[in-house]
Amino acid sequence: MIATASARRLGAPRPVSIRVDAHGLPEAVGRAQVEAIREDWVVEDRWWTRRMLRRRYFELVLEDGRNTVVFHDVTGGGWFVQRS
Amino acid sequence: MIVAVLIPRFALLAALGDRRTLAAEPVALAPEVGGGQAVGEVSAAAEAFGIVPGMRVGEALSRCPELRLVPPDPEGARGLWDEVLGRIESIGGAPESELPGTAFFAADGLRGLHGGGLDGVLAATRRVLGRSARLGVGSSRFVAWCAATQTRQRRATLVVERGRMVRFLTPLPVGLLRSRPELSDLPEVLERLGIRTLGEVAAIPRPAMAERFGHPGLHALDLANGDDAPIEPRRPPEPVNERIDLPEAAFGQQLERALDLLIARVLARTERRGRSLRALAISARFVAGGTWRLPVTLRRASADPERIRLALAPRLADLPAPAESLGLEVEAFGPPAQDQTRMLDGGTRERHSRLTEAVRQARQAAGESAALRVLEVDPDSRLPERRAVLAPFPDLTTDP
Repeated sequence: MIATASARRLGAPRPVSIRVDAHGLPEAVGRAQVEAIREDWVVEDRWWTRRMLRRRYFELVLEDGRNTVVFHDVTGGGWFVQRS
Repeated sequence: MIVAVLIPRFALLAALGDRRTLAAEPVALAPEVGGGQAVGEVSAAAEAFGIVPGMRVGEALSRCPELRLVPPDPEGARGLWDEVLGRIESIGGAPESELPGTAFFAADGLRGLHGGGLDGVLAATRRVLGRSARLGVGSSRFVAWCAATQTRQRRATLVVERGRMVRFLTPLPVGLLRSRPELSDLPEVLERLGIRTLGEVAAIPRPAMAERFGHPGLHALDLANGDDAPIEPRRPPEPVNERIDLPEAAFGQQLERALDLLIARVLARTERRGRSLRALAISARFVAGGTWRLPVTLRRASADPERIRLALAPRLADLPAPAESLGLEVEAFGPPAQDQTRMLDGGTRERHSRLTEAVRQARQAAGESAALRVLEVDPDSRLPERRAVLAPFPDLTTDP
């Protein structure tokens, strides 16, 4: 009996609907407008493998006051929200 | 009578997996990662080029530039061999096996189950193992093994009756003694002394053998006379195996965290039924292909995760290459883990005991994943999902 399933990870990214502006910067997360972009940064990993990972993270302040971290998956496409 | 089962090139076939058609070409097992630069088992086509197991890679490639090297897969070979032993057990046999590819079992107790004669036992064995297995029958393990090595494709079963044993063993080469790891160096010395057959070994007086070769010499003399130790059948395994995928080339603290998680998961398995662990095996599947496996026997059977971790963690340093997954298997259970009270405790033990009982009841009601704890795997990772995982809550009072 072999359990090969990966462990349950915490903080796994969840897909989220994001509206972006002409420069590719997030304007709204779901229905909430983005008030400010506090910070943005890029994470690259596994560039030595075929499953390269490249994400552009944004720390956002939403109109309802929430602080949210989202990222754009540059290699696979799509936007995700993640607990930082 | 003892039946020897021999499946030639088993480790090579296991490593080839779905690519078994390659066995018809010159193929050899690549050197084990971290081991010497010598090839392992070789295919018949490779043997035709003069390549033999143990030959240095450079020499093997110069003899046959088309030789393909396949990464060894000891983990896969062990799993397949367990299936073979399970088939022998399915006909009532109690096999003993030290290496994948070779097994022994006593036939006498099985005659009644298979028509009353040895032929019935052999037919049943052949039925469950197929045609690729070579079967040898003799009065001892060594005689049966020698018989199995002397079989050929057309006659894959050879029975050496007790009365024919001496005549059968006498002309065989002393190199067959290498089947015993403790005698692996002896045949070369004997050959240098001009002793080339088992018959010549059997003719050496016992005192002379003891004086020149000591205990190994006496052991060889016993084998050459057809005497051998009785079979020690394996205990049917209770497979408890946990494996975790490593998301990147993990090392150091990350590997230790993965090991913590595996220990917690193994200890949380219901098959353990409160027993301590006596022997475990760490295994890894490498990024570049192939596997690695290291059995570890605990000095004292334990169900204490800290104690098990202390025994296993240093072995991670032996990991010879980057791994894509790490596994932990229980090879043997110990006695039931007992609660042990301390003279001066301050109530900690009692609290742990109550907490463990609460966890046990929660698991009973809602399954194994009812009580989990957050285990930091790689707390400094730039990717949040790699920092922590949920692991089974540890059993706090299982200190035997």
